Amino acid sequence: MKTTTGILIFSFLAAASAQAVAPATPPCCPAPESKPACCAGPKPATAATAAACCEELKSATPFTGQSLYLLDAKWTDDAGRTVTLGSLRGRPVILALFFASCEYACPVLVSDIQRLRKTLPESLRSQVQVVLVSFDVARDTPAALAAFRARQGLDAGWTLLRGEAVPVQDLAMLLGVKYKQDARGQFSHSNVFTVLNAEGEIAHQHAGLMGDVSEAAKVVAAVIK
Amino acid sequence: MRPTTATALVRCWLRGIGAAAGCALAAAGWAEDRGGDGMVLIPAGEYRPLIRSKDEPERVAVAAFRLDVRPVTNAEFLAFVRAHPQWRRSRVSRLFADPGYLGDWAGELEPGPRAPADAPVVRVSWFAVRAFAQAAGKRLPTTAEWERAAAAGFTQADGASEPGFQSTVLAWLTRPNPEPLPVAGSGRANAFGARDLLSLVWEWVDDFNTSMVTGESRADSGLERTLFCGAGAAGARDPSDFPAFIRAGFRSSVRANYTVPNLGFRCAQTP
Repeated sequence: MKTTTGILIFSFLAAASAQAVAPATPPCCPAPESKPACCAGPKPATAATAAACCEELKSATPFTGQSLYLLDAKWTDDAGRTVTLGSLRGRPVILALFFASCEYACPVLVSDIQRLRKTLPESLRSQVQVVLVSFDVARDTPAALAAFRARQGLDAGWTLLRGEAVPVQDLAMLLGVKYKQDARGQFSHSNVFTVLNAEGEIAHQHAGLMGDVSEAAKVVAAVIK
Repeated sequence: MRPTTATALVRCWLRGIGAAAGCALAAAGWAEDRGGDGMVLIPAGEYRPLIRSKDEPERVAVAAFRLDVRPVTNAEFLAFVRAHPQWRRSRVSRLFADPGYLGDWAGELEPGPRAPADAPVVRVSWFAVRAFAQAAGKRLPTTAEWERAAAAGFTQADGASEPGFQSTVLAWLTRPNPEPLPVAGSGRANAFGARDLLSLVWEWVDDFNTSMVTGESRADSGLERTLFCGAGAAGARDPSDFPAFIRAGFRSSVRANYTVPNLGFRCAQTP
């Protein structure tokens, strides 16, 4: 079992530290010669142009092999709208799993992400979308998510989603997030948030609570630029 | 010669042929497979979680389920990738399988000498094995189901109280893996008729990501609260069950796209 032992040790080390993945080549429209400001540029064109550009981009090229947007599940937001993660293409996304009745970690995770957003200049902040996806497929209805939004005072920069058990498991697996429901219906879960680049690829993962979020903020800023 | 001795001799002979020709699983393994489809019924029972929070029960009920007698083989996985080209080595997204995927195979559709047809398939990701199970109309066993099946001894439903069983399991842990791996199912059947749960390869379970052992050995008995919400209350069941710790550690250390040289799988089904 030498191989296994080696892998175990290696994996333990890997699992123990926050995983930073080098950000991929930056964002948005793939044609380098045209370099449109598009939907993720620091100086976006008019809203109409940006929207058209994003639509064009979304339909024009398939997702990359590393894009989480390959997961084509349908989610429902707290306003009851159907959402696919792929619709976020073109801008940096901060993605985390949570559950609305969480007593300890999730509010802290939210405040960590708020803290990260505050370190960004206003022009960048408005381009970042935070997406929280619930583990709690049974209890986190759109109404429960809406109540969480109100409780936490979350603005339009935050998207709160619920989905079915299999897509939630898939997403957790792709993010390397561990979770388990206990007898009281609470979830034990990894405290981690993930920065996705414009293509939906994992650019950075931040593990732990109340830590230094400056590295994550740098990656977000790099994705925009 | 008494009939019982004759029967035993025939059994030994069958096993001998099987080990040599690699076909005996069918003869000996299927003997316990009453449905004739390579699965055995694991009766309803309970699972004692290795690590649990103080609010969780010591024993978890596990409903009856069906489990493959042996791990899935290279030949079976080859048939799957032939039928589902998106799971071939050259086509699979790195998101769903790392670059080591099916790395023992000689070619895209050729397992070759390092991956004999009847040996368990390894270097397969969780996403790939779940797709295999779905295509077969089955699913992956949960941690509770797998541990419930593997808790049986060779002759008793509770292996922990069977003399010599734990030491046999430990002995496997200390032996290097033979290369190539032996025929899947050539190990001795446990009391439920399942083979090689603890003697051939590690196996994926559907919910491996519920295993929350941290990488910090000092934190394993009281998990790091800032990394895992709710984990501060977790405590370990039986520190003497070393193989169970290894399995929990293994599960907590892999990600769903990882492929590992001695990590295979078998499927389950709800009856």
